Amino acid sequence: MLRRTALAASALLAASALLLAACTTGGGSSASTSTGAPDADASAVIRLVLEPSNLDIRETAGAALDQILVDNVYQGLVSRTPEQEIVPALASDYEVSDDGLTYTFTLREGVTFHDGQELTPQDVVWSLTTRKNTPEWSDSGRLANVETITADGQTITLTLSAPDSTLLWNLSGRAGLILKEGDTVDYKTKTNGTGPFILDQWKQGDSITFTRNDAYWGDKPKVAEVVFDYIPDNQAALNAALAGEVDVVTGFDATLKDQIEANGDFQLVLGKSTDKGTLAFNQTSGPLADKRVRQAIRQAIDHEAIIEALASGETLYGPIPSLDPGYEDLSKVAPYDPEAAKALLKEAGYEDLTLTLTIPSFYSTTIPQILVSDLNEVGITLEVNSVDFPTWLNDVYTNKDYELSFVLHTEARDFENWANPDYYFTYDNPQVQELYKESVAATDPDKAADLLKQAAKIVSQDAAADWLYNGASVVAVGTNISGMPTTNTNARINLAELTKSDG
Amino acid sequence: MIRYTLTRLALLLLGLLVASVLIFLTLRVLPGDVAQLVAGTNSTPEQVAAIRERLGLGEPLVTQYLAWIGGVLRGDLGTSLLTGSSVVDELVEKAQVTVPLGIFALTIALVFSLPLGVVSAMRRARASGTALNVGSQALAAVPVVWAGMMLVVVFAVWLGWLPAQGFPRSGWADPAAAIRSLVLPALTIGIVEGAMLLRFVRSATLQAVGQDYVRTAAAKGLTRNAALVRHGLPNVGLSVITVLGLQVAGIIVGAVVIEQLFTLPGIGRMLVADVSARDLPKVQGELLVLTGFVLIVGFVVDLAHRALDPRQREAA
Repeated sequence: MLRRTALAASALLAASALLLAACTTGGGSSASTSTGAPDADASAVIRLVLEPSNLDIRETAGAALDQILVDNVYQGLVSRTPEQEIVPALASDYEVSDDGLTYTFTLREGVTFHDGQELTPQDVVWSLTTRKNTPEWSDSGRLANVETITADGQTITLTLSAPDSTLLWNLSGRAGLILKEGDTVDYKTKTNGTGPFILDQWKQGDSITFTRNDAYWGDKPKVAEVVFDYIPDNQAALNAALAGEVDVVTGFDATLKDQIEANGDFQLVLGKSTDKGTLAFNQTSGPLADKRVRQAIRQAIDHEAIIEALASGETLYGPIPSLDPGYEDLSKVAPYDPEAAKALLKEAGYEDLTLTLTIPSFYSTTIPQILVSDLNEVGITLEVNSVDFPTWLNDVYTNKDYELSFVLHTEARDFENWANPDYYFTYDNPQVQELYKESVAATDPDKAADLLKQAAKIVSQDAAADWLYNGASVVAVGTNISGMPTTNTNARINLAELTKSDG
Repeated sequence: MIRYTLTRLALLLLGLLVASVLIFLTLRVLPGDVAQLVAGTNSTPEQVAAIRERLGLGEPLVTQYLAWIGGVLRGDLGTSLLTGSSVVDELVEKAQVTVPLGIFALTIALVFSLPLGVVSAMRRARASGTALNVGSQALAAVPVVWAGMMLVVVFAVWLGWLPAQGFPRSGWADPAAAIRSLVLPALTIGIVEGAMLLRFVRSATLQAVGQDYVRTAAAKGLTRNAALVRHGLPNVGLSVITVLGLQVAGIIVGAVVIEQLFTLPGIGRMLVADVSARDLPKVQGELLVLTGFVLIVGFVVDLAHRALDPRQREAA
């Protein structure tokens, strides 16, 4: 009877934690809970939250596409490990000149596209050149420093106009994907990549199925088929898991841990992620133009309580999460202190303040509830304006017509937005912009990270925003599954190691 | 009857025209556009502008409306901005889930509400009648989402008899699996809609009991129940037909909710996804077809009612 009540209660809650359609990030360390023998003919079903609106990796933005297509279907010269390190992919080897201006890649031989055609060096030159020169294609700007792309035999050479410490990272993401020159495939509904999996079927509004690429140049996948089942609602996903309809549940709600682990078929794994729950302040005018008000809001928020309520994630007090270079614990910059917050507001002359929070409606109400109550403590009335995502994009992102905004930013290494005064954050600090520029131009990775660290500290000290939490990648893995990535799964899921056992 | 049919048909066409204008205009009021969604949050304004240009979103409203309605008249509902696929094709594909779901739900609703509604009225003075009355009142008040959740918890999670969500990837190629996946969603809508229908049948039956012709028939020697069945129920049937028209609209609304809950790839779920993706040509087509369907059902019900009820014919 107890279980019946618990399930019924959670059925009513059904809070879905969708993620913001965003951009690229890393692979993932994997969970291994399986004991049985791997079944090479198995079909593994993975629950995902956000379905892509189409499959065009060239110009449709959104983490939903990167999550499944990069690494599995499409590949670049280089890729990322779960630890976010750069490793060779279609290039067997690469070299960077000391001055950071010449990148040389050795292209693998014997690589074929899914349509059977062989991958040629010319395909690589064409892909990168077209990406760079086509503004409609996502991340085309990330190749801005690349001057020439040439091929000599299997050697691909990129020369840069200025050193770019972010280039390899960018090449391991969308900007570096290699497509077939002049391909006529309908990219919106079909794919033609070089990866270990082939797109078999896309049932819009339901699921996407991959099958093993038996002609793959590397280690062949260890399952015959992977099905991505799009179930936006967490309660429905829990039901599907308990009814044995899915093998892995990603993007799960950690507060439902006991329920999904109840029958022993699943284990909940909390992996790291670069998701940053960002409370943006429009600081161009009004009370939020005053740094003391922004600092007061930061100090009024009990960040530990947020982590507790979410049952996952870590606190974050600056723009860079721990998985990214330049991370530093900045908790001392804005410790939880409602009294200090009140004093700051008094000093600034805003003892009775009303602010509006604009938040996309697919986020659960947990965050707004905590914010309303915390800010109320220090004399700020928070009105919550819940809008659908296109409205948020229009009002907040494009028109910057907002006071406070909450969005989960999932992209890794996206510090550039703090160095861009035109971004919706409205943060404009020439010193930060200069440090970021220097970091990009640095040829030594450690120096680049150190410059980012300095810049991030300034951003935090300026109270340019508040970072409510660094999200966790919450994945419930079936006990028959091993090799499932569990780090940053909102961004990318590399299925190379996935196995499913019959037992 | 012919004149009535023609007038009613003209009204139907006018209704469709007004609906098309309303659908078109209300969607234009929504903030946000598909180009920005495609480009995402790390895009430059130039990138968005280039995508908007390519999708042809800059045309004046009147031009857009005329182009759309012109296409509709030729049987072309347009193409999706995002996937480039034909709206008609998508509707046909998704209808393979929604239409059987609706028919299934309506059948369930009718099968238990008609007999139980009459029984509940005839036994209104007894405990069983009261129980039916109270029970139907409670069921009719249950939110569809909650009813669905309860059914899932019992039949999918506890007993494991039926799937908790989704539709077979092979569709109707495996009819047994397809039907199994529709049982819980159809039951959910069917029970809630059926409970409402039951209450309607009950009150229509009670009304019939009080009518003079039933009393006259009873006075001529029929038992009260026999008089009701022979003379009262045909009239109850007539009013049920009218209400069924409304039930169809209720079932469509129910399908939108239930398809979300059970992650069924039907028209309702597609509609919700397309609205949040601002794929306006697709949403327009879907709404027009759904509105048209409800209007046509209303039209057919009106004609059927008139044809079956001699009193209305005489009045005209």
